[in-house]
Amino acid sequence: MILTEQMIQLQAPNPAAVENGRKLWKKGSFSGHCRTEDGSLYWAQCAGSGKTPYQVSIDWSVPDAPVCRCSCPSRQFPCKHALGLMFEQLSGQKFETADIPQDIAGKRAKQAARTAKKEAAETSKPKKPNAAAQKKKLARQLEGLDMAEKMVNDLVFAGVGTLSGSSAQTYDKLARDLGSCYLTGLQTAFTRIALTVRQVQKDPAQTERAYAEALRILVSLRSTIKKSRVFLQKKLEEGGFSPEDSTLFEALGGVWKLEDLRAIGSFRENVRLVQLSFDAHFDEAKKEYVERGWWLDPDGGTLFQTRNLRPLKALKYVKGDDSRFGLLEIPALYIYPGEGDRRVRWETASSRPLTAEEQAALPALAEPQLAAAVKRTKGVIKNALAPKFLAALVSIGRLGRIGDFFILEDPSGGRIVLRDRPGDQTSSTARLAMLPREIPAGSALFGLLFYDEGDRSLCLHPQSVVTRSEILRLQY
Amino acid sequence: MNLQPLYDVKERLEQAAIAGASLLEEDFRLQRAAEGLKPLAAASPVFGKISAGLEKLLSAPAEERSGLLLDLLALVDAVAYTQGKTGLDGELVPLPFGRGQYLELSYGQLHPLLEALTTTGGGRLEILKSAWENHPEWFGDYRLLPAVVQDLGDSYSEIGELNASILKQAGPAALPLLKEGFDPAGTRAMARRVEVISAIEGAGAAVWLREILPEAKKDVRTAVLTALGGIPASGPLLLQLAQTERGGNRDAVLQSLALQEGEDVRAFWEAELVKHSGSVKFLEPSQTDWSMDLTARGLRQRLESFFQKAPTREECDETKRWCHSIGRKDGPVMLDFWRWAEEHMEAIDQIKGEKDYPPFFGVALDERLQEIMRHTGPGPLRDFCLGLWERRPERSRCLYTSFQAALLSLPAAEVYERYAPYILTEKPAGNSDWKKTLNTVLLRALGEVWWYPQGERYQVYGGQPTAEPLDRRWIERLTQAVYTDVPGRGGSPFAYYWENVAEIDLTLMRLADPTDEENRKLLIPYLRQRLVKTGLPYHYSRWLFRLGGSPRGIFGRSMAKNPSANHLYVVWGLMNEASRALPPEETAALLEEFQDAGAARKQALAHFQKAIPWTVQQLRAGNPFPDWDSWQKIIK
Repeated sequence: MILTEQMIQLQAPNPAAVENGRKLWKKGSFSGHCRTEDGSLYWAQCAGSGKTPYQVSIDWSVPDAPVCRCSCPSRQFPCKHALGLMFEQLSGQKFETADIPQDIAGKRAKQAARTAKKEAAETSKPKKPNAAAQKKKLARQLEGLDMAEKMVNDLVFAGVGTLSGSSAQTYDKLARDLGSCYLTGLQTAFTRIALTVRQVQKDPAQTERAYAEALRILVSLRSTIKKSRVFLQKKLEEGGFSPEDSTLFEALGGVWKLEDLRAIGSFRENVRLVQLSFDAHFDEAKKEYVERGWWLDPDGGTLFQTRNLRPLKALKYVKGDDSRFGLLEIPALYIYPGEGDRRVRWETASSRPLTAEEQAALPALAEPQLAAAVKRTKGVIKNALAPKFLAALVSIGRLGRIGDFFILEDPSGGRIVLRDRPGDQTSSTARLAMLPREIPAGSALFGLLFYDEGDRSLCLHPQSVVTRSEILRLQY
Repeated sequence: MNLQPLYDVKERLEQAAIAGASLLEEDFRLQRAAEGLKPLAAASPVFGKISAGLEKLLSAPAEERSGLLLDLLALVDAVAYTQGKTGLDGELVPLPFGRGQYLELSYGQLHPLLEALTTTGGGRLEILKSAWENHPEWFGDYRLLPAVVQDLGDSYSEIGELNASILKQAGPAALPLLKEGFDPAGTRAMARRVEVISAIEGAGAAVWLREILPEAKKDVRTAVLTALGGIPASGPLLLQLAQTERGGNRDAVLQSLALQEGEDVRAFWEAELVKHSGSVKFLEPSQTDWSMDLTARGLRQRLESFFQKAPTREECDETKRWCHSIGRKDGPVMLDFWRWAEEHMEAIDQIKGEKDYPPFFGVALDERLQEIMRHTGPGPLRDFCLGLWERRPERSRCLYTSFQAALLSLPAAEVYERYAPYILTEKPAGNSDWKKTLNTVLLRALGEVWWYPQGERYQVYGGQPTAEPLDRRWIERLTQAVYTDVPGRGGSPFAYYWENVAEIDLTLMRLADPTDEENRKLLIPYLRQRLVKTGLPYHYSRWLFRLGGSPRGIFGRSMAKNPSANHLYVVWGLMNEASRALPPEETAALLEEFQDAGAARKQALAHFQKAIPWTVQQLRAGNPFPDWDSWQKIIK
């Protein structure tokens, strides 16, 4: 692992902490720089506002997941002092070689014991689910589905346009009851409808788009309710309470644990991934930040997505994700159920720069013809439960403009309009007209294919250009 | 296939869901759309399914309608998606490229900057400034550069100004973005674009500036007029504009005309200064011969008139503006002016304003002369300054000017021999006021000189290096000075705010080169003596350590003079510093001295009693000075 500023940024809970850490380093607040002979532990003292300096250390035993320790009272993790110490390291500051301090050696031993205990727990027999409790839960969920169906029917019968003011509040309250029926997914969908309709009141210019979005959610809700009822009833009748490879589990509000994904066999070992793009947005309905990465498997060309969810209430305690450059080597990749670009997660990974050969091979993984990607997208988005977009990496024949429209032409002459996806909080299409250099032949364009209601066409929201020598990100 | 009937059905179904399924019976438009779909239904099974669904919906009982409506909408949506068209016909125009560069910047690095540039609210300037200081190269990124251009008109003007300076440094890469979408009738943002473009292009911007001038309005016009000043051949155009422009725009024209050459321009300014004397302020940055001539002549006439008649308050203010407009002008005409000023300085100093209030024109002129001298290289003006004190020994201000000129021009030894006697090392007999004044003037002048270790040279305030490294004898002379009371400049290098150190010692330590053996020999005993006299151990001990000296023998009692300052961590810091400069035994002795003198802060006495003997023991055992963590552990 090579320590870079981006690496420091990746460890930080927020950008302000990085800046504060940098200030400490620049101010020369650190003294007593020491490191162990093997370079796995760095420590120093940092002068704080109090009389006594803080004891800061960074344990690099696992290079991609350093353990930062500091005696300061900050609840941010890692704190600015630890980040400042990383800047000290980055700047080439001399650290005297010394023996590992006793207290840190103790902490390391405790950490190792914890890890061993966890591993032992993982290899031991899986916990048997409490059948009675699960049965009760399923019954409660089925009750909730009836309630949700009634809510949907009532809303459509009265008209989505009537959802304003007090009626929206009533729906909010009813939606909360769905949460107590273990149907948080449906609860969020109702909240989203209410928020979308409220948008009409705030900004009448958005009326058409907002109602279309509300209807799309309602259609999806209806479909979820119907399919879930069959799914849950079957489970109840069969007495099978273990998680299954179905998107309905998440749609109802279930949260996948890695061990559950492993249990259903939805994982792969020794996977390599390259990030193509990264973005973040705030989900008003769930009151959380969603940090999304788009990844390419250089060994098979599959596209995946990662989603790091940071609820507003726990923002300080959930580490933010960031753009990743280079290649990630992942011992175990857990894949969420679904179709198209599936969500993935992992526990540990190590990173390294892409070699020139690895980079050069990436554009060849693109779909040579747009038509195939478009067909695949249509197949996915027509499913009411699926998101209305699909990631695609397509070979570039030509990139250009016709009037105000940006166009991608594949090598066989197939064309698609490039535009920002309505409702997406990031815009990147216009950046195609500002690219630093000409795109070489044999490159590919990564983006999200979506259906634009405005002109009833399939369009591509471009996110990055993949050439044989680099990945030019249009966003982050 | 004409899919319009499908889209009509989709639209009507959506409207029905918005208006309410309860009104379906009355929705004749939906019924009409269903009729319109029938020809398609006959042609394709999927449309047939939609048509059947419509019939079922329209005939369904009220309680089933909502569900059926949503099911049908799902089906219609799915068909619409599968029928979605792609592409666009027409000639493909290749995309431009080459605007900025691509850098691997992460979301965490890029997003805060883009947010700062595209939103409003507090804290944005700090984010941008910090990134600009630490990573100026980031701003060349093709995702960031357009945002910087767009944010030139930020409502927070400091951000707008920062953006302008970022773009000026970005250079020609920013030009296409700056010119794209330029609106000559625009607001402050467009005015800043003019400023940036002309700074990047210089004289090359002439054609563009002339092109946009007729359309330029308000702020943009002012900016164009100002920018024309940097284009050498703009004189005739500016002269014309000076007749037609009004208010702020006329000021901009005058500012630009001040930078132009030519007889016509000179004639214009002669007339302008007669009509509006205040316009002289625009001549301050001008270095043209005519501006020097007009400024020097005008100022001289004004001062001469005050020899006979006391100036009014307005005349005083106006004359100060004329003094200021000298700026950094340097040339034969100005030299003549300074010679005249030297000859008449006594009279100038005696000018009195209303109610005998002295306007200090002489002081203002001398300060201007020193400023010019510090910013111009060797030449007649510096020679003039060099001889000033010799010619006018009755004016103490001249000593200051000549001494600094000598530092910048003469061999170090000569400077010392000529000026060192003004630093008094013995109390003079008789009336010594004049000698004391000169002593103070020279100490103040020396206070503006310092050793710059990075460049290994001495510098004079204003950034110019001295002609030769300062003569070592100055250090000795200063240590022997008897009159050391000189106004403080501030600026202790250490954060021991409770110690009020004399300016003479701060000056001395600014001048001392710690690597010079002679300096060290002189200063170590001096600093020890000052430590005893002042009782300020933290400054003087650290200075001693820096020179490789030790306060042993006087350290304990000095520290004991103010025990309340001796916090455990502060003492540890000082002794840690000592351990880096001195042998272990010396550090151990200092620690013992501290303890024997009872210098510990009362509240931390118990801690000191544990930490010091243990540290002494460690040092004598050949171990390094313990870190703070070890002190913490030992006191627990």
